[in-house]
Amino acid sequence: MRPVARSAIATGLVLLFSQSGAAAGPDQGAQLAATCASCHRLDGGGTGIPSIIGLGEERLTNALLAYRASESPNHIMHVIALSLSDEEIASVARYVAAQGSNPR
Amino acid sequence: MKSWTRREFGRLTGAALLTALNQPKARGQAKARVVVIGGGIGGATVARYLAASATAIEVTLVEPRQTYATCFFSNLYLTGLRSFESLSHGYEALAKQYGIIVIHESAVAIHPAAKTVALNNGSKLSYDRLVVAPGIAFRDRAIKGYDEAAMEIMPHAWNAGQQTRLLRQQLESMEDGGLFVLVAPPNPFRCPPAPYERASLVASYFQRRKPKAKILILDAKDSFNAQDLFQDAWNRHYPGMIEWLPAQFTGGVTAIDAKTRSVITAGATFKAAVANVIPAQMAGRLAQLAGLANRSGWCPVDPVTFESALQPGVHLVGDAIIGGDMPKSAFCANSQAKACAFAIAADLTGSARFPAHLFNTCYTYLAPDDAFSNAISFKPVDGKLKSVISFVSKVEESSEVRRQAARAAEGWYDAFTHDVFG
Repeated sequence: MRPVARSAIATGLVLLFSQSGAAAGPDQGAQLAATCASCHRLDGGGTGIPSIIGLGEERLTNALLAYRASESPNHIMHVIALSLSDEEIASVARYVAAQGSNPR
Repeated sequence: MKSWTRREFGRLTGAALLTALNQPKARGQAKARVVVIGGGIGGATVARYLAASATAIEVTLVEPRQTYATCFFSNLYLTGLRSFESLSHGYEALAKQYGIIVIHESAVAIHPAAKTVALNNGSKLSYDRLVVAPGIAFRDRAIKGYDEAAMEIMPHAWNAGQQTRLLRQQLESMEDGGLFVLVAPPNPFRCPPAPYERASLVASYFQRRKPKAKILILDAKDSFNAQDLFQDAWNRHYPGMIEWLPAQFTGGVTAIDAKTRSVITAGATFKAAVANVIPAQMAGRLAQLAGLANRSGWCPVDPVTFESALQPGVHLVGDAIIGGDMPKSAFCANSQAKACAFAIAADLTGSARFPAHLFNTCYTYLAPDDAFSNAISFKPVDGKLKSVISFVSKVEESSEVRRQAARAAEGWYDAFTHDVFG
């Protein structure tokens, strides 16, 4: 797929990010990611629970939006995502994606 | 004082310096001191998240044990599916990676006016904020005759450790055809699905090793957590092996006789080959001594900051609190602990406050390859923690979905204990 077409599809997400950029600081992302860490290892290790490290901001955002929209395929992630606002999804996706680029 | 002091401080310097590079500067004053009493899931999580989020706070964790064994997943150990070592976690990473001062002593008293904690070794710790995570204690005389000596014959195995090992030995040495009696406690108690998960996994063990054995659950309640999922699984996996008697049938368990290993209800006496007696519970002893519990035996807290409603400057998390709709689970303790840590950090350092997100997630085993899960989100409403959204596995799910949940549960244990203990 060409980059232009892809970014057109993702327009909604781009808006989401730019809206939240000013309001949400890195602290909010870190605090929200603490919830992720109860089940997902943030060092990228672990088995049995899918890793969320190295996925990138866009994929994480899309995944959370999809989980929020439907109970299937995972009711745990549905409950987590339903508790998050658009701004919080953007904030936590940005924070977790940054963990991938800076492995510990 | 033990030799930990100098060594731990030596290690601490390096770790603290490394962390400091990524943190905003403290406000040019002495570090605020937070003391956390209790190194279970709630206490260890508070300590870790406080230390990681604010270098301007000195965090001390007081826990007598060198290692902590998790009660969750101990039913797998009990039935030969996991080693005891796999349930055991030390505090080295919390000390080395996060710069937490770990003191292996018991806290014996709290003096809220002086803001000090007295330790078993005679020393005193001063604090700006105190977090108490005392877990549970058993109510005295809840079941007549069930004293400390009786616990060595009819174990509760509701704090993981020697009691869990004892119950496993008893199950292993029990003859085929024996009766295992499980006495299930009244609400509220630690980990609502766990007595029934225990019955399920013991049934699975009996099926493999002692196929003529039977299980009798004598319940203090008339219904229990995820009852439809459990009873469906008992019919599918262990037909005729598990009998559950609600309180309305038996009048409830009133006494035990340790000499004959008997459990006595209002109307009958049941003689067991192995008996697991899980008594009624309340907040841990220190909470009772320090005036942190009310007449219910549990600790009222502010649902946003987890500060005690009875003693200002003291916060509580985990099984000991009155959690509203939040069950007493390790997951809830961990979730509350993060909210509490962020609230304390905001108070002490002026860092930004964001709405807390509180959850419970449980994986529960019905058989070694059949697990179900639930998830609930919570919000503070009118001073209470209310459940907002809740989903649980369904009775008609495929065996493949259940197998996947059993695999996910293993991964969850690894990630969760890594989150708590580093």
